[in-house]
Amino acid sequence: MRPRILPTDVLLGTAPIALVLALWQGLVSFGFAPVTLLPPPGIVFGRLLQQLVTSTFQQEIVATLIRLFGGFLIAVVFGVGIGIAAAASPAINSVVRPIVRVLAPLPKVALYPALLLLLGFNHESKITLVAADALFPILLSTYFGASTVEQKLIWSAMAAGTPRREILFKVVLPAAMPSILTGCRIGLVISCIVVFLAEMITSTDGLGHVLVTAARTFQAVDMFVPLITISLLGLILNGLLQAVRSYLLRGFPEV
Amino acid sequence: MTQRGALIARAAPVLACIGLLALWQVASLLLKNDSFPTAVEAIRAVPAILGDKEALINILASLRRMAVGFGVAVAVSVPLGLLMGRSRQVQAFFNPLLMVIYPVPKAALMPIIMLWLGVGDIAKTLVIFLGVSLPVIYHSFEGAKAVEEKMVWSGAAMGLSAAQRLVRIVMPAALPEILTGCRTGLVLALITMITSEMIARQSGAGNILFNALDMGQYDTVFAMIIIVGAMGICLDAAFERVRARLVRWSEPQFDMPLSFS
Repeated sequence: MRPRILPTDVLLGTAPIALVLALWQGLVSFGFAPVTLLPPPGIVFGRLLQQLVTSTFQQEIVATLIRLFGGFLIAVVFGVGIGIAAAASPAINSVVRPIVRVLAPLPKVALYPALLLLLGFNHESKITLVAADALFPILLSTYFGASTVEQKLIWSAMAAGTPRREILFKVVLPAAMPSILTGCRIGLVISCIVVFLAEMITSTDGLGHVLVTAARTFQAVDMFVPLITISLLGLILNGLLQAVRSYLLRGFPEV
Repeated sequence: MTQRGALIARAAPVLACIGLLALWQVASLLLKNDSFPTAVEAIRAVPAILGDKEALINILASLRRMAVGFGVAVAVSVPLGLLMGRSRQVQAFFNPLLMVIYPVPKAALMPIIMLWLGVGDIAKTLVIFLGVSLPVIYHSFEGAKAVEEKMVWSGAAMGLSAAQRLVRIVMPAALPEILTGCRTGLVLALITMITSEMIARQSGAGNILFNALDMGQYDTVFAMIIIVGAMGICLDAAFERVRARLVRWSEPQFDMPLSFS
């Protein structure tokens, strides 16, 4: 059962956001921060709305989204695949486990120069970086979910005459679904962060590039706009994933 | 596990390292690309970097910033997360704000923070602090929420004050989860450290890496990748040691790094 959201909670929750905005406005209007360094929130959000309707800014968003989804989907396919395989087969497990132990704590951003040199400055290198970063959370939670499936469920299915490979789709995958989706959620947040960073390092388009261009010309207002955009994108995507989650997990007790 | 099995388990990550390096070697020999040196060439360039005094000072400065940012973040985030887990009001107060901040790439704040604080240590440490604190808050929160209510009640019945209950019951009970958060934070600290130095090109490991890329010293690029990667793996392994010792009492955990979930 999901705890009901009380109206007082909503009030309490909006308070700090309102406070931050008020503090921001206050810092500017009382002259603690010069407008060139910290533009007031009204101007920033006005600029955001004004930018959102221009086609150039929309193209930047589309470029970012292509990379984000490309990398994220590759990570989901490989992460779920390898995770399930490692949980199902001891042989694959003994190969995958040490490799994951070495690669998971490796800061993937450091690989970006290598990817640039190998794959060029276009979509490919950025998508690969996003995929590499989002892969491990998804892989690990899939593995965790699939290897903690109750053995009794599998035995019952086998006793009922389910063929071995159907057990995978009918028992293991659904039972591991909550864990897989948790991994996907973390992977998605990481994808948002990484795609932005990759675009900041080298790019000719995308939201990260907008930020860098603004920073080089000291346009403080334009620096806030892409940051707020990526934050909003993250929130929207998170909401979408939540919807997918509640659809896929209908019938599950409290998730 | 038998003696032999334990030995194999310990050797496996080393074997995996060697295997990956061999794969790299073969790939670079096959591709014959000027900008993709072989693994042997890259490893040969490592001593040159570590022997260079200036580079060493840079790398140590990076590690110092990382340690400070990580330490302060843990010190602030753990109490906040625990409070959020125990009090509905505190949770309702902070949760939406944290949800809005979570998907913002912290290193992307670097250009803005640089405008205010300059390119020095403070700006970079602040960015690392921001990057580390969110996962630690989140995991402490989850850990504190899952503490068994009965234990807290027993503590209350025995006359512990609210603050004492938090420190003596909730914190130890949530410790495994908190440490998982710290481990994620450690990896994120390293990532944020590299990216912040790459954006504020002035000093540090990230600076060496991307300067080498700009100047086309590909051996150095790949050698730095090896160094940074080794830093990540060593820090993670060291942390895992500490963690295993601190939460020996808790159920045996997964030995794969589940740090991200």
